Amino acid sequence: MNIYLPIAEQPINAFIVLGIGWLVGIIMGMVGIGGGFLLTPLMIFFGIPSPVAVASVANQLVAPSVSGVLSHWKSGNVDFKMGTILLVGGVIGSSIGVLIFNILNAIGQLDLVIKLSYVIFLAIIGSLMFIESFKLIIQTKRGKATRGKLHQHNWLHGLPLKTRFRKSKLYISIILPLIIGVIVGILAALMGIGGGFIIVPAMIYLLGMPTSLVIGTSLFQIIFVAANTTILQASQNQTVDIVLALILLIGSVIGVQIGSKFSNLMKGEHLRLFLSFIILLVGFKLILDLVTIPLDIFSISVIQ
Amino acid sequence: MRTLIKNILLIIIIALNSFTVFAKDNLVTDLSESTVEISSTFSGADILLFGAYDGQKNDDIIVVVSGQKGNIKVDKKEKKFGIWMITESIKFSNVPKYYYIASNRKIEEITNKSEIKKRKLDFNNFELKNNKIDYKNIDKKWYEALKRNMKKKQFWKIEENSIKLNKNTLFRKTLSLPSNVSTGMYNVKILHYRKGNLISQEESKIKIDKTGISANIYNVAQNFSAIYGIIAVIVALFFGWFTNFIFRRI
Repeated sequence: MNIYLPIAEQPINAFIVLGIGWLVGIIMGMVGIGGGFLLTPLMIFFGIPSPVAVASVANQLVAPSVSGVLSHWKSGNVDFKMGTILLVGGVIGSSIGVLIFNILNAIGQLDLVIKLSYVIFLAIIGSLMFIESFKLIIQTKRGKATRGKLHQHNWLHGLPLKTRFRKSKLYISIILPLIIGVIVGILAALMGIGGGFIIVPAMIYLLGMPTSLVIGTSLFQIIFVAANTTILQASQNQTVDIVLALILLIGSVIGVQIGSKFSNLMKGEHLRLFLSFIILLVGFKLILDLVTIPLDIFSISVIQ
Repeated sequence: MRTLIKNILLIIIIALNSFTVFAKDNLVTDLSESTVEISSTFSGADILLFGAYDGQKNDDIIVVVSGQKGNIKVDKKEKKFGIWMITESIKFSNVPKYYYIASNRKIEEITNKSEIKKRKLDFNNFELKNNKIDYKNIDKKWYEALKRNMKKKQFWKIEENSIKLNKNTLFRKTLSLPSNVSTGMYNVKILHYRKGNLISQEESKIKIDKTGISANIYNVAQNFSAIYGIIAVIVALFFGWFTNFIFRRI
């Protein structure tokens, strides 16, 4: 069934988009990471202009994040104080991100920068995930168990403005979570992603937060970052396609719930290995589009 | 049902035409629809143009449909650092966003060059402007690129030999508008040629408009963009909460 997207100004097959949202949602639910970094490139492959894809995926991101926070909140796994500091940084970051977005749009290089950022990120995440899960599989076969890194005191703990985070049992400077928030905010605005793959390791290894609190707290901050990005993109660039976002989010929220129910069916490392292949494949397709000679070196676009 | 209405209309036109056979205007045409509404399930539209003319053997009919004019940016990509990136752009203004030409035989055979130029019966005679220099002096490859891409997207289209003439009195032509057609007033010009000379012409308008939810969404997004953003967030918040609410019960 074709549905006309009012902002992208083109018809799209609603069932296919719903299905993509659903599949990405299932992966999100099973692995426990956001799917923005897969949804945006897939929408670009479907012919949605990249600025609209980024802004609409950021819009849909609000839904699975709320849904996730509610479940984590029930189990007491959200550090709201830490989350608030992260989100202050995130809101600043996403505002900076939208500003960069506008500048790139004005000089006509937005599409290229979005695609290039994706190539870099997908390559990094994909290969890291591949190596990590591959190692784990080898190690479990050999029967060796590894210990996770313990957090160590370093120069980061000497920063000023120290605050006590009771929930996380931490006494650290608020500067670091603020900076992490800003970086994640910029990424959300430019790429339409929640940045879970950056914020989660940063919270564990740099801030030293307990692993149980990390996902809930990062989802809490992502709600506000995604909401801020959506409102800024909508009001400054009119790039948020609410119909596209709605179809994607219905698919993904259902997928996430199903995925999280079945997350114990498959071994985490096997799932991650599989996901790393998908990520590398999507990245490879993006880079291929950038390096192969275009059918026509000239292209046209309707402008105001 | 629609075919029936079309046939009845055709009969009425023929009847009208036979009454007005001595009138100055010997060309009568009509469209099956004068408005096209782009709704949320829009996937292009077919409009039937039909008409009657007081013709002789070897008379010709040309139909020209032109849409709103607007700005089109042409980007040129070059390979830099191994990547194809946009290195140069030219903005053309006053470009017809839709231009369609149909005829019963090759236009070059129907009339002469000056008439083609005057009536814009090809894609080479638009009065375009660009942001660099005068369009006439610009490197031809830019205009060729514009033309090629407009044709590829079906915004500019020419179909010679596509109008069927019937007994020198009737003709019909289906105008197919693509799904990505832009909104606005479209001008349909029907030209009747005899031995290369224009002997009569008719004009009709088609209004292409967005309607329904799709149009409302677009208008809110353009005119109340901050409110639109807030609504988009609230909708997403609601669905996030709602699925959590539902799945907690399962």
